[in-house]
Amino acid sequence: MSTFPIEPLLHHSSLRNNSKIYRGARGLLPCSLNLSSQFTSKKLHSIGRSVVGSRTSLGLRSSNHRRSVAIRASSSDTAVVETSQSDDVVFKENFSVQRIEKAEGKIYVRLKQVKEDNWELTVGCSLPGKWIIHWGVSYVGDTGSEWDQPPEDMRPPGSIAIKDYAIETPLEKSSEGDSFYEVTINLNLESSVAALNFVLKDEETGAWYQHKGRDFKVPLVDDVPDNGNLIGAKKGFGPIGQVTNIIVKPDEPGADVQEKSSSDLTKERKGLEEFYEEMPISKHVADDNSVSVTARKCPATSKNVVSIETDLPGDVTVHWGVCKNGSKKWEIPAEPYPEETSLFKNKALRTRLQRKDDGNGSFGLFSLDGNLEGLCFVLKLNENTWLNNRGEDFYVPFLTSSSLPVETEAAQVSEKTPKTNQEVSDSAFTNEIITEIRNLAIDISSHKNQKTNVKEVQVNILQEIEKLAAEAYSIFRSTTPTFSEESVLEAEVEKPEIKISSGTGSGFEILCQGFNWESHKSGRWYLELQEKADELASLGFTVLWLPPPTESVSPEGYMPKDLYNLNSRYGTIDELKDTVRKFHKVGIKVLGDAVLNHRCAHFKNQNGVWNLFGGRLNWDDRAVVADDPHFQGRGNKSSGDNFHAAPNIDHSQDFVRKDIKEWLCWMREEVGYDGWRLDFVRGFWGGYVKDYMDASKPYFAVGEYWDSLSYTYGEMDYNQDAHRQRIVDWINATSGAAGAFDVTTKGILHTALQKCEYWRLSDPKGKPPGVVGWWPSRAVTFIENHDTGSTQGHWRFPGGKEMQGYAYILTHPGTPAVFFDHIFSDYHSEIASLLSLRNRQKLHCRSVVNIDKSERDVYAAIIDEKVAMKIGPGHYDPPNGSKNWSVAVEGRDYKVWETS
Amino acid sequence: MEVSVIGNPQARICRSELVYRELGFRFGSEVISGESRNRVSFRSQISKLKEIGIRCSSRSVKCEAIISDQVPFLNSTPKSRSLESVKLFVGLPLDTVSDCYNVNHMKAITAGLKALKLLGVEGIELPIFWGVVEKEAAGKYEWSGYLAVAEIVKKVGLKLHASLSFHGSKDPEIGLPDWVSKIGEAEPGLYFTDRYGNQYHDCLSFAVDDAPVLDGRTPMEVYRGFCESFKSAFSDYMGNTITGITLGMGPDGELRYPSHQHDDKFSGAGEFQCYDKYMLSALKQYAESTGNPLWGLGGPHDAPTYNQQPHSSSFFSDGGSWESQYGDFFLSWYSSLLISHADRVLSVASSAFNGSGVSVCGKLPLLHQWHKLRSQPSELTAGFYSSNGQDRYEAIAEIFAKNSCRMIIPGMDLSDEHQPPESLSSPESLLAHIKTSCKKQGVVVSGQNSSVPVPGGFERIVENLEDENAGIDLFTYQRMGARFFSPEHFHAFAVFVRNMNQFELSSQDQAGENVAESLSIGSGTGAASLQAA
Repeated sequence: MSTFPIEPLLHHSSLRNNSKIYRGARGLLPCSLNLSSQFTSKKLHSIGRSVVGSRTSLGLRSSNHRRSVAIRASSSDTAVVETSQSDDVVFKENFSVQRIEKAEGKIYVRLKQVKEDNWELTVGCSLPGKWIIHWGVSYVGDTGSEWDQPPEDMRPPGSIAIKDYAIETPLEKSSEGDSFYEVTINLNLESSVAALNFVLKDEETGAWYQHKGRDFKVPLVDDVPDNGNLIGAKKGFGPIGQVTNIIVKPDEPGADVQEKSSSDLTKERKGLEEFYEEMPISKHVADDNSVSVTARKCPATSKNVVSIETDLPGDVTVHWGVCKNGSKKWEIPAEPYPEETSLFKNKALRTRLQRKDDGNGSFGLFSLDGNLEGLCFVLKLNENTWLNNRGEDFYVPFLTSSSLPVETEAAQVSEKTPKTNQEVSDSAFTNEIITEIRNLAIDISSHKNQKTNVKEVQVNILQEIEKLAAEAYSIFRSTTPTFSEESVLEAEVEKPEIKISSGTGSGFEILCQGFNWESHKSGRWYLELQEKADELASLGFTVLWLPPPTESVSPEGYMPKDLYNLNSRYGTIDELKDTVRKFHKVGIKVLGDAVLNHRCAHFKNQNGVWNLFGGRLNWDDRAVVADDPHFQGRGNKSSGDNFHAAPNIDHSQDFVRKDIKEWLCWMREEVGYDGWRLDFVRGFWGGYVKDYMDASKPYFAVGEYWDSLSYTYGEMDYNQDAHRQRIVDWINATSGAAGAFDVTTKGILHTALQKCEYWRLSDPKGKPPGVVGWWPSRAVTFIENHDTGSTQGHWRFPGGKEMQGYAYILTHPGTPAVFFDHIFSDYHSEIASLLSLRNRQKLHCRSVVNIDKSERDVYAAIIDEKVAMKIGPGHYDPPNGSKNWSVAVEGRDYKVWETS
Repeated sequence: MEVSVIGNPQARICRSELVYRELGFRFGSEVISGESRNRVSFRSQISKLKEIGIRCSSRSVKCEAIISDQVPFLNSTPKSRSLESVKLFVGLPLDTVSDCYNVNHMKAITAGLKALKLLGVEGIELPIFWGVVEKEAAGKYEWSGYLAVAEIVKKVGLKLHASLSFHGSKDPEIGLPDWVSKIGEAEPGLYFTDRYGNQYHDCLSFAVDDAPVLDGRTPMEVYRGFCESFKSAFSDYMGNTITGITLGMGPDGELRYPSHQHDDKFSGAGEFQCYDKYMLSALKQYAESTGNPLWGLGGPHDAPTYNQQPHSSSFFSDGGSWESQYGDFFLSWYSSLLISHADRVLSVASSAFNGSGVSVCGKLPLLHQWHKLRSQPSELTAGFYSSNGQDRYEAIAEIFAKNSCRMIIPGMDLSDEHQPPESLSSPESLLAHIKTSCKKQGVVVSGQNSSVPVPGGFERIVENLEDENAGIDLFTYQRMGARFFSPEHFHAFAVFVRNMNQFELSSQDQAGENVAESLSIGSGTGAASLQAA
């Protein structure tokens, strides 16, 4: 039988070779040829002849294969051609086509008491798919809507932890014949789990299923006052009101609650009852149908008679044309046309197929001139649904006596068969690639929709290339550990020293963080800061970091909402502009704090989730990453870590990047910012930051890449290479367009100073152990900021030892940043002396540091051979030699010398 | 009860959009069929059409198609020679397959290959080591790791060029097969040896080529067996995925004596390697047959050591021994062994792979150091010599021509200006010289870069490829790995490839508009069908 699996969605340029397998009308013996790629047999099978013109359509697959077939079909690539006894048949093929259909089913949730204290929660689904339950728990006493990971003993086998707040467990068929997919979770009622939250995900389609736009929530206790009340209100356990997101009695018409039993209350967990609930769901699945085409030459009239029949349900229209003169250009044949045919814009004909008597599909007969070469067609199911032959038109060749290609073509096919077979054997791999390239194609085609030009498509491909390369790089690099440092150093050398680059400015920058966590409180911070401009300039600062300027949900500014509204708790846009002007006047560059990772939404979507934006950048949920179920983004998966308190922006979207670039440029222009401090850059790929920096051309830029150092048994590891490598990787991803805060150095200073372990301050190669030891020109050293210190104190520098920290960072390479609170404190004069020393001796971000001593109680180093420093209680004197050292600054447990 | 779907299934969007996309193309062809014909007429798709790859490959072709659409419009830029005809290959890491037959960093390689495919690279060079495949026992071949790589390459839709390496490598450390090393312990004469008795363990001496030293078989027989086994193991790939095979001809696969063994940036003259048992006996025999038995007792006594300057002793100086009658005697013999080795290896290869649809190649070294000295000591110690000041490479090129083999010349990224002046080096003139010799003999040249990145390398490669005279149509870029994919390097590489493909990010041309138009016809349908879905 001739079968030709087709899949309309995959473009297949090589197909044409395959599909034109036919035989001549005369001069050839009837033969039968069956090529199948679905089996590993490399031989060509010859099978029995079939009756020509059979009305039976050869549906390839039953509909319950559905979606999974879509991909598998891609591996069968060979046309199976059948010629028959009857001489007048010139072409016969059976194409399989796929239609997207909505399948309906149900999700059910069952809570069951197995033994006294042993309960089971079962979640199931009746639709086929690769179902995953994405779940977490709330503990007694939790207030927010955040999830926690369940205790180990509750996790069914096969569960995977997703970050630190959820578990994913696949749903499985309980037996082969079973049509339900389900998972059973044993509830541990000993633990203080108060409720179980989940959403369902279909891995095949990537779709998330929620309940009323929220998580499914199954409460397990009633002895928490809140819940107890609610349960009381609802009489016993069971579905609880919307207020707490808890499963509610179905209020959608047609939803069908089959059963809801209530058993006796248990004494321990009063109100916990068995229940069973069902909810209807629907899913789009692909349905396979077939189209079989037979062309015959009528000897009497020398006409070609084509019969098309299909088992596609409903009305089917054939949109067709004929081919002449060897081209596949569509032309309109001469009349007469079949019944129910209309002319479409002078370019094609449309013929509606007749329904078959038995109701299963339809058919049509087309009688065409004998001198035509072929018939091209596509199928139209309704205004919006078209089917074609894997990206090509269906093509029915009519043979003329001059071309008798059967033998040669058949030979070609037989050559190809073994190859195809191999491909089948490894379809998993293939599928993966197909998916990836398909995803790429989505990007491309979505661009086309926006009528953007080829350039953007190319940029898109280039970005994909860059991502793949970055992936390859990270794996290769991890297996060649010594590489990174050298390469970075080399890259360093290549850069001309004087050039101003956005990561470093001139190389002589000294940063001042111009606010703390409380600065918003006065409502006039910009004005207050302005008054200090002269003082900051005279201290020797060259760059000032201002707080985030946008409208924000939180007063500190880190939950931005309307990016173009620059009236914040720090002051108005005019005050901001005025402040920037003022600082420029005293020679200080100003950095804006750009929060690009997340943005708070203005509106809720139809599910009640806040993910639609307003203001000038009125993005929709495509701007939100897809892998945080709390915000139901329709973008791509995040290219970094997620920040859970607000929708994370999907920077892979072109429109998002375009808007952000525009915004940054506007801020440069309008406010006068010279550069950026970039918030939470762990949240998205550094390559995008490069893009932003290239567009906004900052004088200086620094990103906050803050994650945890490595500890073993509570003790900080000596070697923090992995930590600084992650930061260096990020800088690298930006191609060095931005520097990064040297969190590694801060962390090591903490332990070294606090525990008197100054030996930590030299790495095994005798260099500084932080980012500054590897890539000094991109390291922004600091000891405190608004998060680590101030009134938040998330990771405060050891008290009383701040000056040792400043003695270190203000003498060492890297670009030092001084925290506002420290400047205007008792340390004022000591910091001022260090700043003036740094400027006087022209130390810069690439200064050379020679570590002279790194022992238990003292660390000493000589920088650029003109400044010597020591920190720690131990004794140190710079070497007596040709140099004449004089003490420049001195304080508690630190001392700095300079050559005179 | 209400359940809602959130997050749109990506695959499905794609599905419907692609439906429209294809339809869009069709309608496009109706409306502006002229333009849409163009879409299939660019360079690489035609070749792809013949080969029914897996879907992925045809789809990658599609991506490529979009890139390549630009080609016709950029052709107008005057170039001495169009680079479009040059096929670009990239070498896989030497340790792609571990000695336990596993594929190392499979994931990285897969991602890397996809990136290269999208970039428009033609194929991949895969180094296959004798010491891995035939590691345990003679005739016991284990191809699985390399087969797995070939399969990935094929799936991604790239071509494959296999380098059969009969040498070992220091970094990463890959030796000769264990069983060969074992024989070598008992019979040290297998290895090249210098005058101090130091052996070079990464390659067998040319003098044992036809000696039955490997359990009664000669190395040539063993190499032939290896080639035959390769051919049958990879029969499914030969001529389609695999388009070329390079035979290892000596140390690091290059046709030369291991005269420079220390990978110093600035090395000395190198050392003659003629002190193993078989070499010495061949030398003795030759000396006796030419009537100078005393010359057959050893190599030149006045040659410098590996890292000594050529002038530190008298052999290579002007009027030194190399120009004497003795010098001619010794160097002729020394280079003749190299030439006959080349002939043996290449004839093994061409007989093994004749008719399997692949091109056979051998690689020469580019011994550019001291090239400006009259004696050219680096070339002499490596075995390149010709009496009476004749062309030292012509005889070699003749052997390549005789066996219909291509010659790979490395170092196409090197330029004179970046060489330390004290090395008296001239990669450019040496390269030009070898190319001329090849042209004279009708040998097709393929290019390679040197393994260490050099400043200005890409520009120099382009210059070499544009050279009308050499007509280089294949270039292999060495080599994939961490450095290759590091942002600094990969970016430069991508620019290089784009230049070769003449693919630039210009959007001002007509093609872009046409494509956009034909697609926008489809987009209405697409959007609608999405809703329907």
